[in-house]
Amino acid sequence: MAHHTAEIVADNYTLEPARWAKGRNVLAFLALVSWVGLAAGFAMDREQFFRSYLIGFLYPLTIVLGATFFVMVQYLSGSVWSMTVRRIMENVMSSMPAAALLFLPIAFGIHDIFPWSHEGHVKDPSKASYLSPQFFTIRAIVYLVLWNMFALMIYRASTKQDTTRSIDQTRTALKWSAPGVFFLFITASLAAFDWIMSLDPHWYSTMFGVYILAGGALAFMALLTLLAIGFRRAGILKNSITMEHYHDLGKWMFALTAFYTYIAFCQYMLIWYANIPEEVVFYKHRVEGSWLWVSIFMIFARFFIPFFTLLARSAKRNLTILTVVAIWILFVQFVDLFWLVKPTWAHHGVSIHWMDVASLVATTSVFGLVFWSRFKTHAMVPVGDLRFEQGLKFENA
Amino acid sequence: MSELLEKAGLLKPHSVYGVMGTFDEPDDLVEAGKKVRAEGYTKLDAMMPFPIHHVNEALGIRRSHLGWIVVCIGLTGTAAALLLQWYTGAGPVDLLPGWTGLGAYPLVIGGKPTFDFTFAMPVTFELTVLFSAFAAFFGLWALNGLPRMYHPSMNYSQSHRATDDKFVLVVEADDPMFDARKTADLLKSLGARDVEVVEG
Repeated sequence: MAHHTAEIVADNYTLEPARWAKGRNVLAFLALVSWVGLAAGFAMDREQFFRSYLIGFLYPLTIVLGATFFVMVQYLSGSVWSMTVRRIMENVMSSMPAAALLFLPIAFGIHDIFPWSHEGHVKDPSKASYLSPQFFTIRAIVYLVLWNMFALMIYRASTKQDTTRSIDQTRTALKWSAPGVFFLFITASLAAFDWIMSLDPHWYSTMFGVYILAGGALAFMALLTLLAIGFRRAGILKNSITMEHYHDLGKWMFALTAFYTYIAFCQYMLIWYANIPEEVVFYKHRVEGSWLWVSIFMIFARFFIPFFTLLARSAKRNLTILTVVAIWILFVQFVDLFWLVKPTWAHHGVSIHWMDVASLVATTSVFGLVFWSRFKTHAMVPVGDLRFEQGLKFENA
Repeated sequence: MSELLEKAGLLKPHSVYGVMGTFDEPDDLVEAGKKVRAEGYTKLDAMMPFPIHHVNEALGIRRSHLGWIVVCIGLTGTAAALLLQWYTGAGPVDLLPGWTGLGAYPLVIGGKPTFDFTFAMPVTFELTVLFSAFAAFFGLWALNGLPRMYHPSMNYSQSHRATDDKFVLVVEADDPMFDARKTADLLKSLGARDVEVVEG
């Protein structure tokens, strides 16, 4: 085949220092402004600060968990299509240390955020012993340690391969990925129970962990698409990430939209059907007052709009459509988390506080800085992976 | 016997299927295909042991309409499921005459309404998937003209090589530009081997 296949124009696989510094400065500026704002907010209204901060913390965290899941899946499935975007995935994944740091305000704000932390709120003794501030903190440390361990071990193997160009690191990453997926699902489910579901300690849904992970995975795929298109517009990696790769990113957004809807609907239908007061109360809070309109909006925003937009093959191969859908998915992921968390305190209608937005910018920019710092130290694609050349030439059937 | 069939239009004696030739490399086939198309030919086909990228574009073979068929029949499944559940649960009881036995049968179960999108959704989803799967499976057969026990390309002496190590290019006889001799010469000039005019 060699003499026909179009010449592959090699990109520059390292980010120019000047461009890197520009990106860092933007993120650092956003972080500075938002954290100063949040500090003022904390001084003014401590309770509101913690409650807003929870949404801000969850948004980038779910995306990074989605990234961790996807990197592990790329290794486990031996994917070739994703070679050219895998390092971007890994960089998102390896911003996990930021989660450990940014969890601290949650740990200090337990009493302001979680109603179960008040004596006598939870009557069931076994539930009360599980939902104690000490045990809650210990569990959070376990999750964060496990996530960081898996993310950084895989990241280390992948970046080491850039110089060794050996299959050993692929094997090492594979060895971490297999138990990684297992532990990620268990710990992320439990984290979703602890950090979101327990806001209403009487309500429960065993599906809730998958719901959060599915939303995070979808938002991550949208972020990855947006990053790849952003790089392309700046002339970075534009010969490496081809239309074939964008097509696959579009397919993933499409598939995860369907998966998320499946999970979200299953959760709703089972609760609707059983009609048990302590379960139904979750949806009851979300159809009261103006929350009803947010709930109806979610049905269209989460399913109908992205699903039918991405249905056609030509839509998945159109960068403008992909950009719009990716921005839309990232926006709706925030609406989703807002819709999950906020009605805990705003029972009768939507209310948005400026700190909700400020904490979103604050946490996301810190994650972003860790993510961006990876581009300084390592190549933007896994140059040492033995399947990299094959990945460059990948084409959809 | 054969004359009878001929008169009935069921058998065309000495009809020509096309000109066929083999190439050793997949890229040679793709290149030759492009050149044959540049000459103005439109009815091309190819046979190969494994899928090759760009061969459809090179030969001017359009994308299949199967996707549209699947969408239309899938949405029919959606509509059928909703109608079924709405009519049996909450439809007008005496829409059809009683002797048909097709009256609606409203039952209140667990205090739920006789029709609601929430409980109708699993059946709707399943029927959409079922109809889509059938459309995809049988549509694929129909578009490929299957089942088919015989295809004229099998008359080509080298057709078995297309399942092994050769890449076969076909210029079909119903191409307006087709001329057995000229077309065969064109394929030879493009490096094809074992060029034959194949009977249909």
